[in-house]
Amino acid sequence: MTKGRTELGDITPHNIKQLKRLNQVVFPVTYNDKFYKDVLEVGELAKLAYYNDIVIGAVCCRIDTSENVRRLYIMTLGCLAPYRRLGIGTVMLEHVLNICEKDGNIDNVFLHVQVNNEGAIKFYEKFGFKIVEEKKNYYKRIEPADAYVLQKSFKEGSTDERKTASETSSEDTTDKIMS
Amino acid sequence: MPSKNPLPPKENAFFKRILKCYEQKHYKSGLKFAKQILSNPKFAEHGETLAMKGLTLNCLGRKEEAYDFVRRGLRNDLTSHVCWHVYGLLQRSDRKYDEAIKCYRNALKWDKDNLQILRDLSLLQIQMRDLEGYRETRYQLLALRPGQRASWIGYAMAYHLLKDYDMCLKILEEFRKTQTPKPVYDYEHSELLLYQNMVMQEAGMNQEAIEHLKTFDKQIVDRLYVQETTAHLYMFLGQPEKAAEIYRELLSRNPENWNYYKGYEKALFLEDKPDERMKMYRSIMEQFPRATMPKRLPLDFATDDVFRDLIDDYLKKSLRKGVPPSFVSIKSVYKDPVKVKVIEDLVLSYVDNLIKTGKFDSKGEVEPATSLLWAYYYLAQHFDYLKNIEKALEYVNLGIEHTPLLIELYVLKAKIYKHAGDMDEAVRLMDEAQSLDTADRYINCKCAKYMLRANLIQEAAEMCSKFTREGVSAVENLNEMQCMWFQTECSFAYKRLGKWGEALKKCHEIDRHFTEIIEDQFDFHTYCMRKMTLRSYVGLLRLEDSLRSHPFYSKIAILALEIYLHLYDHPLTDTDHDSDVNSENLSPSELKKMKRKQRKAQKKAELEKEKLKAEQEKRDQNKNKAADGEMDGPKEEELIPDKLARTEDPLEQAIHFLKPLQMLTSKCIVTHVMAYEIYSRKGKLLLMLQSIKRGVVADRNNPQFHICLIHFLQYVKDKGEITEPAKSVINLEMKNIYQGKTALQLNEEFLAANSDSLEHRLAGARMMYKLDRSRQEEAMSLATSLDSKLKGLTIQNCIEVLEALCRGDLGKCEQEALEYQARCHKIFPHATAFIIPTPAPANCGSVECASTEQILVNGSALKNES
Repeated sequence: MTKGRTELGDITPHNIKQLKRLNQVVFPVTYNDKFYKDVLEVGELAKLAYYNDIVIGAVCCRIDTSENVRRLYIMTLGCLAPYRRLGIGTVMLEHVLNICEKDGNIDNVFLHVQVNNEGAIKFYEKFGFKIVEEKKNYYKRIEPADAYVLQKSFKEGSTDERKTASETSSEDTTDKIMS
Repeated sequence: MPSKNPLPPKENAFFKRILKCYEQKHYKSGLKFAKQILSNPKFAEHGETLAMKGLTLNCLGRKEEAYDFVRRGLRNDLTSHVCWHVYGLLQRSDRKYDEAIKCYRNALKWDKDNLQILRDLSLLQIQMRDLEGYRETRYQLLALRPGQRASWIGYAMAYHLLKDYDMCLKILEEFRKTQTPKPVYDYEHSELLLYQNMVMQEAGMNQEAIEHLKTFDKQIVDRLYVQETTAHLYMFLGQPEKAAEIYRELLSRNPENWNYYKGYEKALFLEDKPDERMKMYRSIMEQFPRATMPKRLPLDFATDDVFRDLIDDYLKKSLRKGVPPSFVSIKSVYKDPVKVKVIEDLVLSYVDNLIKTGKFDSKGEVEPATSLLWAYYYLAQHFDYLKNIEKALEYVNLGIEHTPLLIELYVLKAKIYKHAGDMDEAVRLMDEAQSLDTADRYINCKCAKYMLRANLIQEAAEMCSKFTREGVSAVENLNEMQCMWFQTECSFAYKRLGKWGEALKKCHEIDRHFTEIIEDQFDFHTYCMRKMTLRSYVGLLRLEDSLRSHPFYSKIAILALEIYLHLYDHPLTDTDHDSDVNSENLSPSELKKMKRKQRKAQKKAELEKEKLKAEQEKRDQNKNKAADGEMDGPKEEELIPDKLARTEDPLEQAIHFLKPLQMLTSKCIVTHVMAYEIYSRKGKLLLMLQSIKRGVVADRNNPQFHICLIHFLQYVKDKGEITEPAKSVINLEMKNIYQGKTALQLNEEFLAANSDSLEHRLAGARMMYKLDRSRQEEAMSLATSLDSKLKGLTIQNCIEVLEALCRGDLGKCEQEALEYQARCHKIFPHATAFIIPTPAPANCGSVECASTEQILVNGSALKNES
């Protein structure tokens, strides 16, 4: 197969609308203006993915510091349907994991996923993520409304996953779907 | 030569310092020294000092005082070359070159060997293209300074420009003999040799030129030029084998240069030998597998299976790689309908296969996901080109569905809607494209251009302001940057809105850019001589000579002509505002609404104006701070739209725009149609005849010109007695042009010969009705046919027909106009011009109300006199 080129690029005020359009198409949830405002502030934690020079995916994260634990939360990670199974998700996730590794001070990385999204769950498990909690009625306007919390720990022997995970409030509307 | 009124040593020292300050642009200090001299009562009227004071003041922008002082200085010392020279410099700074030349000549009377004055004079002469004078001056300079390189070159060039090649070459050769080039890379010497060679070629001395290149081969550093020119010269000299050899080398150097292939084919006589031609391309393909040109060029001549294989390969490669302009690159192949079909079938099959298997066809590998996307993009362009709007939209939408973030797709979709005649939707889409990447100036400009096409002038300026300098309004900045596409589109938009003054202002602004570009060459006269870039310099001089032949100029010149003609036919009344096109067609409530809108706009404009004023003041302050800077040319008269629209002599103004067209674009028929329209309004019989004669040569069959032809025939007939000698000239010429035919015969022949063209049918029908009112029905059916076999069945042409109907060119026909509009709507469902607003209006005027106010050059010319 002819391989395409996958690259990551910055999100700027000039191309933020591409991220909005992408999220509209990829996710069933709409994000508010604050989400997009914050994305512009987080630097390497939010990236657009290019395939053969066309924007086809994006990853957006933020640092979560509740309960004096520094964690990385993946708000969105996704790509357009025709471009799946090309290793683009892997490039984006590895980028995130690299940041955590370089930082060295991040306890774990976590995210929410709709309980029926098997593709996404499998994808994250491949990278060492584990389901640590199920949240009932996490989503407001989509079915099923329940979400799993997937988490990957960096600190050895950190067993209190359950506790930290439950700290993320359910009113957090950001989520992650990888269908 | 000393002045008649010499200063004592102390004062003289001051005077020298004034000169020095002037040269070094320390104008304020210069004024101080001048004061030192002038405050001494003995020298209060010292001519040269006064003159220098004036010149210095001029540089500080104090124009009026400058003239006062310089003139006073001159009066006090009429025999001083300094005073005359200074007066010349002052005139030159105001671009009064003829006056300046006179002053320099006077200065030379009193000091005939003054090098500086001679040099300044020669610059003015070349600028004004006084070639004879230039030669004289350059001769004197050479005689005075035979040791200087520039003296020789300048003198030789004078002969070159006068086309006295022998003399030019003699001088150059004499000079060359005195030169010893540096052993390695002597660029300037190399340029001298190539200039010499250029003159030889222009003199038709091809053999000598080729020998010359061989002899001095080692000293010439522009290797590419040597190769290209040698190949060229061998062709001229009938030695194609040698040329072919060089072309082959050139192709190895750059296999993407279209010209080398052309030269190579010609040298090998491959024109009518498709097999050998193909073989040649295949051999280059093998040598350079990554080159595009050897793959692209055979598409033009290959046929059948060979073409199919080639285009298959070409398309697959570009779709795989994602080359957005791949359609554009093979558009010229679309002349052949057979090839179009082959391409269409191929790309459709790619799409089919890519959806099913991910491959282009049964062979090959799985393609990247973007291949399908680019195939959609290609097909949309393909169908758009074939005017199949629905299919084009279908594929562009498939593309957007596939990858909603490929901005090119939105740009293309906008373009499709533009072609379909729906500018509003086109603007909406282009704005969307623009919003996805606001750092892309190309799309930003595209969007602004589309907005202007939709008459959204304010919005367009705001769009551009994202990239123009801050603190200045975008419109102003774009004028400063000579951004002509923007100003041209603005002008057209203003014209559509009936804002004649504003439209004219833009035309004049562009006209001034052209003047400015011609002024700008001044600096090159000295610079190029010094840098020895002689070939480019001569190229520049020739470019400047025909500068206004550029389409940017003819476009706005024709527009300005149309507007001036309209203003001549319909002068603005005192109550007319430049802005309201058609208030008479509005209901009272609509009128109120419009008035309210206008008031609002006015308020906004006032606010805007205040803002601008504040900015202007700020800038003026800045300017004052940099007061010692030089003034940049004379201040031009401000262009005030209302004043332009209310000019007293619109026809004279029009002639200002017409002259360059007559000089430079006489091959273009519109030039002569316009000239005719102007002179027929002025009643200048012989000039009308001149336009007719020139038009006959340019394109006799042009529909607009046909109307002029008939008009002139009728005009002369109705005029009755014409006095000699005009009479015999006209009779003689008319015999040649019309061969004794009547207007009716002429029109019937025209119609018979052009029955398959919509534009010609309209012109013919208009004349038919004009010549014989009883044939209205016949004329109507001629003009309103929408047979799909007709040539020129375009939205624009149909709008013209509709406008002609509404205007009454074919008599009263409200019902027919409505019907015609409805029929057009069926053919062009997206075009807003043919959408009949509901409820159906009662009179024709409001069907296309804007159109009744459009400029009707031909129409109104005839209406006035019939």
